[in-house]
Amino acid sequence: MRVLAKAFAGFLMLAAVATAADAKTLRINVTGDPAMLDPITYSELVAGRVLRNVYEGFTDFTPDGKIVNVLAESWTALPGEHGFRFNLRKNVKFHSGRAFTAKDVKYTLEQLAAPDTKAGIGAGYVARIVGIEDVKSGKTKELSGVKIVDDHTIEIRFTKPDVLFPIYPIWFMDSGIVADKGADWVRTVSAGTGPFKFKEWRRGAFVEIDANKEYWGNKAKIDGVRFLVIPNGDTALAQYEAGELDVLDVQESTIRRVMRDASKEKERQVVPRAQSRFLAMNPQVYAPFKDKRVREAISLTINRDGMIRGFYDNAAFQLHGITTPGVAGYFNDLPKPKYDPEAAKKLLAEAGFPGGRGLPPIDISSTAVFKDELTYYANELNRTLGMQVNVNVVERATFIRAMNAGEVAFFPWGWTSGYPDAMYYLEQMWHSKSPYNRGRWFNAKYDALIDEATATVDDAKRFQLYRQAEMVYIDDVGAAPLPMVASIALVKPNVTGARATPFGFDRFVFAEIK
Amino acid sequence: MLRFVAWRLAGLVPVLGIVLVATFLATYALPGDPVLVMLSDHSSNVEMANRLRAEYGLDQPLWKQFFNYIAGVAVGDFGMSYRYVRIPVVEVLSDGIKISPILALAALAAAASIGVGAGILAAIKRNSGIDTAIILILVAGLSIPNFAFATFFVYLFSIKLGALPVAGWGRIDQAILPVAILAIPSAAYIARLTRTFMLEVLGQDYIRTARAKGLAERVVIARHALRNILVPLLTSMGIIFGGLISGTFVVETIFNIPGLGRLAIDSVFARDYPVAMAIVMLFTAFFVLINLAVDVAYAIIDPRIRQRMGVK
Repeated sequence: MRVLAKAFAGFLMLAAVATAADAKTLRINVTGDPAMLDPITYSELVAGRVLRNVYEGFTDFTPDGKIVNVLAESWTALPGEHGFRFNLRKNVKFHSGRAFTAKDVKYTLEQLAAPDTKAGIGAGYVARIVGIEDVKSGKTKELSGVKIVDDHTIEIRFTKPDVLFPIYPIWFMDSGIVADKGADWVRTVSAGTGPFKFKEWRRGAFVEIDANKEYWGNKAKIDGVRFLVIPNGDTALAQYEAGELDVLDVQESTIRRVMRDASKEKERQVVPRAQSRFLAMNPQVYAPFKDKRVREAISLTINRDGMIRGFYDNAAFQLHGITTPGVAGYFNDLPKPKYDPEAAKKLLAEAGFPGGRGLPPIDISSTAVFKDELTYYANELNRTLGMQVNVNVVERATFIRAMNAGEVAFFPWGWTSGYPDAMYYLEQMWHSKSPYNRGRWFNAKYDALIDEATATVDDAKRFQLYRQAEMVYIDDVGAAPLPMVASIALVKPNVTGARATPFGFDRFVFAEIK
Repeated sequence: MLRFVAWRLAGLVPVLGIVLVATFLATYALPGDPVLVMLSDHSSNVEMANRLRAEYGLDQPLWKQFFNYIAGVAVGDFGMSYRYVRIPVVEVLSDGIKISPILALAALAAAASIGVGAGILAAIKRNSGIDTAIILILVAGLSIPNFAFATFFVYLFSIKLGALPVAGWGRIDQAILPVAILAIPSAAYIARLTRTFMLEVLGQDYIRTARAKGLAERVVIARHALRNILVPLLTSMGIIFGGLISGTFVVETIFNIPGLGRLAIDSVFARDYPVAMAIVMLFTAFFVLINLAVDVAYAIIDPRIRQRMGVK
């Protein structure tokens, strides 16, 4: 009995210690464990949530998409060449205490290209650097296109113009970490320069990061952030309601409850996600889609306002073309897609398919999350246009492969931007050379405008090219734009500075617990 | 006795072997190529796909993959997780394995003590108001699904009263709700069995003899009646424990407990087949071991069985 009592007292003490330590630690939910915690293999959302607070790149961006200089103090285009010269910030220290220099930039870029590192998202951002193929094939470890001028100056050259390179989220890491802590360093420490550093990862339970007391910029006002692994959306909401979370990233299954609960209005943040959504119509698979009038008729049949109210409980926003708000190069005055069933019928008749006669039956396909939407489109197109549309739900990985191969005729999908510049969407989604042009809408004029934009350093000029390209897409109905889904967060009244943005949460360096 | 245990432990090998083949083939037949899942948006990148296939040995013929897997499992190597970069399966499981068995055993202990107690009480007070009330509670416990109980309990105890945490694992107060929810259906089942067995035993001649000897009712129940229903009760414990293990899948998900049940569900969704397969193997071994323990317990309780087993 005495042993039991002692054990119990021990528990209570542990609990007390835990509460005291948690006092200024921000608690937020994530849907799963991160798959990795290093900036080289980084390739998924949860890891990004954590790493964004721990590592830094040349630049970062504000919640409204403005670029701010971080580890690059300034940069200039190399005259007569494709490339940049970066002036690096001085007096920046890694979490290890070592100074951040040009050597670390080069090391990170080489790691992203090395054949044995399983590089993730970052590998795509270094693809145009001179000499990348030789590193990828293992011929050499040195990236010939990267030249260290001095400790705080570095030149990077590209095979093709890459004007957005300075804003790519390439997170720089400490080149001395492997020598210091071994190849397994990621289990015990972090190798970044950011306002937080790695503290502990208890698999299945949480990842915790601590404020970096030696941070070069404005230091965090909280002691740390604990990302609690909570796969179930209802459990996460209950934990928030019981005060076990300070910030809730609202999951799909609870959107309805959160949006309808008037008592949560003050704690609620609703922002459009940086995800461009569309209903693709692949003319290579289904011949009638070659006719612009058929594509336009389908777009006119979709009642987007009704969808936003009915499907999303107003947690969605109209998308006019391709680009979403919070991304540089977004224009809010592009023409809004229309809902006009009568005009749609007329257009389809003009195209030679009055009342849908003569149109072969077609599958509308996507993954299980789109199930309700698919049913809506199929019904609506059948009722209004007389099209015979079958709903087809496919397993995700199989479906992505088929879309990439251009085998899917008719499908709703979304493309999430990796950095806050419209080029991400415009080039990857609809340029004819992009491997991700899954709807196979090809337009020479659009291609030409985007090609010109990729070589245009001047922002204002480049954004005008974006605008023209987006107008080409809208006029030609490259696909039917679909509403943007919102990111929804709940933040307790005693927490300030924790902001939901189109790209997940803003860095928690601005958060404060009262 | 030792020979019996050794024999039963040897029997574990073919059972695990069959489960191994079945799960291996099942994961192979499931839709969703794990390499495509890993590549996600980049599945048109053939170079990357080939590299990953080679790295996980997925480029080899099925029989060879299977042989490699068996050879690994034999020495306790369940391969690398598909989902966590460069983390072996054994490490992914290492935390959960300390949680789920404790959760299930705690629920079993709670269910057995409450169930047997309620069952005996109902049998002794047969046809009284107490009996009817207990039966009513039993029917509710058996027929209301545990996720419904969980939602209600969390709402009442955690959100309204603020007495218990909503979720998590690691402190005693975090274990109360999940253990209770997990135990409810089993407790109800055990109580019903106990009541039935008890009523049967109480009608036997030897009970009448015991009472005629002038033994106190307490002694009659505890020593003569209870001991005789323990064997049929124990038989059902193996089954009940199987139910508890599958119950952990639901309860761990609802209460966000990082055990094997929640991990199993997560890894199936993430197509992390090596982890899912290892969990199935673990649960199988666990289930077989519990049934072995039940058999050993028979021998301890019932001298007749001990004799049949050839144990002295």
